[in-house]
Amino acid sequence: MFPSMLSSRARRVASLLLAGSAVAAFATVATMQGPRFYPDDPIAREPESQSAAKAAPYDQSQMYELMFNLFVNSGHQASGLRSQNINTIGEVPDSSWFTNRIGTRPITTEEITRGPQAGVPPDPSKWVLFREKTSGSHPGFTAKDGKGETWFIEFDPPWAPEAATGSVIMATKVFWALGYNQVETFLTTLDPKKTTIDPGATIRRPNGKRTKFNQDDINVILEGVARNKDGSYRVVAGRQLPGRILGGFQYVGTRPDDPNDVVPHQHRRELRGLRVFGAWTSLTDLKAANTIDTVLTENGKTFVKHYLQDVGSTFGMSNDHYEWDLGYEYFYDGPGSKKRLLTLGFGLSPWQTVDYIEYKSVGKFEGKVFDPRKWKPQTPTVAYMEMRADDAFWAAQRIAAFSDDLIRAIVKAGEYSDPAAEKYLGDVLIQRRERIKEIYLTAVNPIVNPRLDAKGLTFENAAVAGGVAKAPETYRASWMRFDNATGATTPLSETKSTATTIPVPNGLPSSGYVAVDIAADSAMYPTWKVPVRAYFRQEGGGWKLVGFERLPDKLPVQKTS
Amino acid sequence: MDLRSLQVLKLATTVALVLGLASTGAAQAPSDSAEPAQAAQAPTRQAEIEREQAAKVSNLHPYEVNRAEKLFQRVDTILEGGTLRWHPFFENAYSGGGFTLGLGHATYVSAYNYIDVRGSWTFSNYKRIEAEFVAPRMFNRRAQLSVIGGWRDATQVGFYGIGTDTSVDDRTNYRFKQPYGNALFTIFPTRKLLMLRGGAELSRWSQESGEGSFPSIETKYTPESLPGLGAEVTYFHTQGAVGIDWRPAPGYARRGGYYGVSLHDYRDPDEALGFHMVEYQAIQHVPILREAWVLSFRGRVQNSSDKDGQDTPFFMLPALGGGSSLRGYSSWRFRDQNSLLLQAEWRIPVNRYLDIAFFYDAGKVAPRMADLDLDGLKDDFGIGTRFHGPFSTPLRVELAKSHEGLSFIFSTGPSF
Repeated sequence: MFPSMLSSRARRVASLLLAGSAVAAFATVATMQGPRFYPDDPIAREPESQSAAKAAPYDQSQMYELMFNLFVNSGHQASGLRSQNINTIGEVPDSSWFTNRIGTRPITTEEITRGPQAGVPPDPSKWVLFREKTSGSHPGFTAKDGKGETWFIEFDPPWAPEAATGSVIMATKVFWALGYNQVETFLTTLDPKKTTIDPGATIRRPNGKRTKFNQDDINVILEGVARNKDGSYRVVAGRQLPGRILGGFQYVGTRPDDPNDVVPHQHRRELRGLRVFGAWTSLTDLKAANTIDTVLTENGKTFVKHYLQDVGSTFGMSNDHYEWDLGYEYFYDGPGSKKRLLTLGFGLSPWQTVDYIEYKSVGKFEGKVFDPRKWKPQTPTVAYMEMRADDAFWAAQRIAAFSDDLIRAIVKAGEYSDPAAEKYLGDVLIQRRERIKEIYLTAVNPIVNPRLDAKGLTFENAAVAGGVAKAPETYRASWMRFDNATGATTPLSETKSTATTIPVPNGLPSSGYVAVDIAADSAMYPTWKVPVRAYFRQEGGGWKLVGFERLPDKLPVQKTS
Repeated sequence: MDLRSLQVLKLATTVALVLGLASTGAAQAPSDSAEPAQAAQAPTRQAEIEREQAAKVSNLHPYEVNRAEKLFQRVDTILEGGTLRWHPFFENAYSGGGFTLGLGHATYVSAYNYIDVRGSWTFSNYKRIEAEFVAPRMFNRRAQLSVIGGWRDATQVGFYGIGTDTSVDDRTNYRFKQPYGNALFTIFPTRKLLMLRGGAELSRWSQESGEGSFPSIETKYTPESLPGLGAEVTYFHTQGAVGIDWRPAPGYARRGGYYGVSLHDYRDPDEALGFHMVEYQAIQHVPILREAWVLSFRGRVQNSSDKDGQDTPFFMLPALGGGSSLRGYSSWRFRDQNSLLLQAEWRIPVNRYLDIAFFYDAGKVAPRMADLDLDGLKDDFGIGTRFHGPFSTPLRVELAKSHEGLSFIFSTGPSF
């Protein structure tokens, strides 16, 4: 939730100052008066130093968020600012939001199959239902299993058996691997014959009163979901999150009741990057109600942990079978509406002609005409609109780290009964991954992971390594001495190479800092001529990378759509 | 309170709040916090961040919900099946009454059953007040019961004569007042597709001289020339219907269809104006290219037959004209013992909330069923916009053209 319009001016000013201070703390801007790099740069973990015990539950009105996103935020003008929670080498530190996993360390198929699952699966020998599910498009319950543990149960719609449950299972593993906090989910079954109602369970009736949950309330849900041949139901069970539930987080502003939340959410790279991750998986329902903040106390610290709680609106899973435009248009899309109005529908939109191979257990998901730049969620968020090319590059690198084997393992975990559907889903995810790599890894200078040692300056080209671009003709390095106290640079010389190791120049200082601009000459990718800048500090007898910038702090202000 | 009324309120609330948002947007716009604070020297990056976090402690406060969001919270509650007390009511006393203002209030008498008291008024001074008891989930959600008691006054109902060849210049007006009470019981044996309905109604029709700018009906007709003129008749009306309905919702559909027949018996205790009526109706929606377009068709035949030695009164004859039949003609423009209505629409879904449609209506009335052929059809055409949700059409605005001129239609329900 962004600061309320009812906030006092003083409070707003104070908030701005605090947020501004946070910018200074995180970003690698050169305008600060202190040193550019601190001894502990780059930080690997974002600290949570203050107690968040006073954070209070809050759920934003879903209709308000929908309307605000559709009709106010859709006109948002992106600031052009660099993400503000990244460390000085442009990476996202671990935090209560995010944990670096794929792309930063090896992940095995066994590990990704397990995903966020840490505990034992539910015991479906008995279910005791005690609350109906009130949010989301697919019906469900809150229930206790045979061991008395609380789970959130969700079913498949009758027109797409296995699709909704499979999507949840797959998506939780994908987003866990990407680094987001996920709910532990398991595929299991619910047998009505082994299902009872908690005597204290109630349900809110249209008259506003809560009365006892009864068998007919169960029937209402079970009549509208896919049933197995043996009369049981395939369900996905999500383990109740630990801690005190606060409600969803907003994709803009900061929590006013969490002292550790000092970076505006729209400037958090992992939330901006959801635009690319969302495009890959077609996570269309990016709303606050699908997120959850909880208050946890661990190691004596009380902090807010942020979850992407419901990622089931993925892989083409829609609210009903005829929602053809998901992923292509917002719930209200001005240009698309105008086009159809003026052409009387003859100006066809892409979603009206795209070819879907329709398996019942797979939603509207394809990879042949997929273009991540044109992908749209149901409603735009401010974080989605703030994404810059370097955010997209970061996200694309993470997606590129999903090997075919990992993707197949994730899809297999969806336990689809039709092997052809399982293969198709894997194929499409691989196709979409390749498309994302082609577009975002080549859009900016793709040099990554620079190291400086006696052999020279060595790095990788993510686009070339990803197999989506040819190596450039030449790499050029412009060397500078760097004064960490003032931010001033003094040019030294230039070296170049046709390989990804460039010799160091003569006269390179043996202490302090050096900065080096690395550009690539490629006829096919002119944007690679714009150099990335790496900063190295002499430390322990070697050079340590302490700073890395792919794009300037601030890009020209642009209107995004 | 019916679904349509509920949807109208939802739309109206939403529109009002969206408009309100426009003025609050600036205040709500996110800060980009681009101004770097004057960073004090700190020994480490971590210490620097922790210092900022510590500084925020003195400024902590809960989320503050603004007025617009509070209103939307109520909308959320309603959408989640919550209680709606006051609601708009746009159904006028009788077709042709013009722009309607109305209000209703629902009171739940149990978890799902409620009594809705509502009233409406039009600028033609049509009045309607009624109370409806609705039990929407009887017999394990296989049946619905509606019981209504009310009174209405229609001050200037048009009558142009009997048959298709009447002149628009022959319009006369009559007025009627009517207390009524009815019960309608609808069964869905399989909870979908098949619908069975039975009902009974007791009502009294009292005619008076028509108001408005047209001559009153008794200046041109006599009870001898126009059966039922001046009569005060009490009807005991029973009905039965069967239908197959696979539309997503009757209030708005882009696919599916409805095929049904209903039988009506109107018994006049004085055995003067009793009659039977049968209505056949078919509706089909044909989506094309993932609903880039929808072709919608409707056919309806109504047949009234006099009971032995009795007449069907003129005001109960099948009729065509008005916003839900021949849209280019005035309400009640054509009346006779039988009617045929054929409608076709080319609907263009612009987005999830707006359709435009081009339509063509044709129909005729005739004294005999055998005369309901395709010769001499009265027709019209037009264009319309429909603001809709997934299951309802809160607002339909249409312009229709017939050889009698242009008609502007403003409705709170679907065309069909």
